[in-house]
Amino acid sequence: MPNTATDMQAAPGYLLPLLQLSDSALPTGAFSHSLGLESFLDRGLVYDEATFSDWLTQFIRIQLVHSDGLAIRFVFEAEAEAEINRVDRELHASALPREIREAGVKMGARMLNIAGSVFPCQELEDYAAAVARGDCAGHPAMAFAIAGKSLGVPLAELLGTYMFSAVTSLTQNAIRGIPIGQSAGQRVLRAAHQEVRDGVVLAQTLGREDFGVTAPGLEIAQMQHEHQRARMFMS
Amino acid sequence: MTQTASIGRLGTHSGWAGTLSLDIDRREGRSIAVRQFHDGALRILRPHYLDDSGQVCYVIINPGGAYLGGDKYLIEVDVAPGADLLLTTQSATKIYRTPNNRAEQSMHVRLGAGARLELLPDPLIAYREASYGQVTTVEMDPTASLVMAEVVTPGWSPDGRLFRYDEVRMRNEIFLGGHLRVLDNLLIRPGVGSPVDSMCFMGEHTHLGSLLVVDARVDAALVKELRSLLAPIDPQGQLGITLLEGPGLALRALSHATEHLNKILATAVDLLRERWAGQGPLNLRKY
Repeated sequence: MPNTATDMQAAPGYLLPLLQLSDSALPTGAFSHSLGLESFLDRGLVYDEATFSDWLTQFIRIQLVHSDGLAIRFVFEAEAEAEINRVDRELHASALPREIREAGVKMGARMLNIAGSVFPCQELEDYAAAVARGDCAGHPAMAFAIAGKSLGVPLAELLGTYMFSAVTSLTQNAIRGIPIGQSAGQRVLRAAHQEVRDGVVLAQTLGREDFGVTAPGLEIAQMQHEHQRARMFMS
Repeated sequence: MTQTASIGRLGTHSGWAGTLSLDIDRREGRSIAVRQFHDGALRILRPHYLDDSGQVCYVIINPGGAYLGGDKYLIEVDVAPGADLLLTTQSATKIYRTPNNRAEQSMHVRLGAGARLELLPDPLIAYREASYGQVTTVEMDPTASLVMAEVVTPGWSPDGRLFRYDEVRMRNEIFLGGHLRVLDNLLIRPGVGSPVDSMCFMGEHTHLGSLLVVDARVDAALVKELRSLLAPIDPQGQLGITLLEGPGLALRALSHATEHLNKILATAVDLLRERWAGQGPLNLRKY
C-alpha cells in the first residue's frame, strides 16, 4: 500500500499555538506553585497516588472550574475590553489567600509576556496595558483565554487544554513533593481526564454567581501555607 | 445629612418578605439612626450603647423566627462619615425547608469617610432541605473601617444527622473607593459536587466561621499577631488568616461547634476593638 504523505492542512491552525501555550514546561513559574497542595502534604492528608488523585479531583471541581474556568469562559464571551477588565478584577478579588493572589499575578505576568511575544494581538496588548496601568491584576487564565480567543480556539478546547495543563503542572509538583513515581503521576493524569471533561462542561453551564466560589478547607490550607516551616513551593 | 439610603434603590417594597433601612449619623458625640424604616418580617430594637465610645448598637429581629422558601429580605445600611455602628441580630437566622425557591437576603452597606461598622450576626442555621442565598455588598470609603463575622452551622435533621441542607451561598462584595477589592464567594452544597467531607471542603468538620476586616490599619504584622493569639484556641489547626488587599484580612475556621468558632471570632474582634477604638471586649448578651 502506498503511503500518502499529508501535511497539517486538515488540522486546525490553532493546534500548534495551543499546544505551545498549554505545555506544562511553558516558563510561567507553575513549577513553584502548589496552590495549597503543600499544606495537605505537611498535614499528612496527601501522601500517595490515591490521596493526591483525590486532592486533584477536588481542586479541579472547586478552583479550576469556578475561578480559572469561569474566567476563561467570561473572557471568551466578552464583547468589550471593559468586560475583560471586570473579569480580571473579580478573579483577583475572589482569591482571598494572599499566596494565591500573588501566584495569579506572577504567573499571569509571565503568561501575558509569552503569549504577547509569540502570538501578538491587539487584545493581549490592551490587557497588558491595563495590567501595567494597575487597572487589572493579571492572571494566567486571563492571558491564556485572550490569546486563545484571538487564535480562534473553540471554548471547550480552550477550557480543556488550560485545565489539563494546570493539572499536569500540579501533578509534576506532586511527583517531586510527595514524592510519587513518574508512572504513578501519569496514571493520575489519565484518571483526571474525565474530571477535566466534566469541568469543561460545568464551566460552560455555571452562572455569574458561581464565579470565584471556593471551599473552606482549600482556602484554609492555602492560608496556612504562608507560615508553613519547610516549604518547597511559593504557594 | 442627605438621606442616601432608601428602600427602593433595589426595587419596590413589594416582593420583599422583609425590608429594613437604617441611616446612622453622629449627634452630640454619639452615633444614632437619623432615619430608619422597616416593613414586613424585619424589625429593629431600640439603640443601645454598650460603652462610652459613642458607638451605637442596633439589633435586628425577625419576628417570624425563620426564613422560609421564596422569602426575600433586604437590608440597607448607611453609616455617615465618622459615625460608628455595631449591628447584630437577636438570635440565630434559621433557614427551614425551602421546597421550591431558596430564601434570600440582600444587604447593602455604605460607609462614609472615617465611618465604622461591626457586623456581627448570630450564626446561620440551615435545616434539612434548606436553600439559602445571601449577598452582602459594601461600598466603603478607603478611610472607613469594616469588621464582619459569620458562622454557618447545619441544623439537626429529625434523624439526628447533620448536613442535610441543600445549599448555602454567601457572597460578600467589598468595594473600596469604587473598586472591587474583596469577593468572598462561598457555596456549600452537601449533596452534590465535591463531597462536603472531602479534605478541600470541610473534612470531618461541620461548622464554618469567617471574619472579614477591611481597614487601612491592617498590615502583615497584625495578621501575624492574630495568628499567634489564636493558635492556642485552634489546637487542631483548622484556622487560616491572610492579608487582603484593601488592606484587610480574612479569617476562616472549621470546627464541630458554634461555641468554639464564636470564641475564635470574638478573640479576634476584641483585639481589634481594643487596638483601634480602646473598647473593652464585646459582650453581646441578647437583650
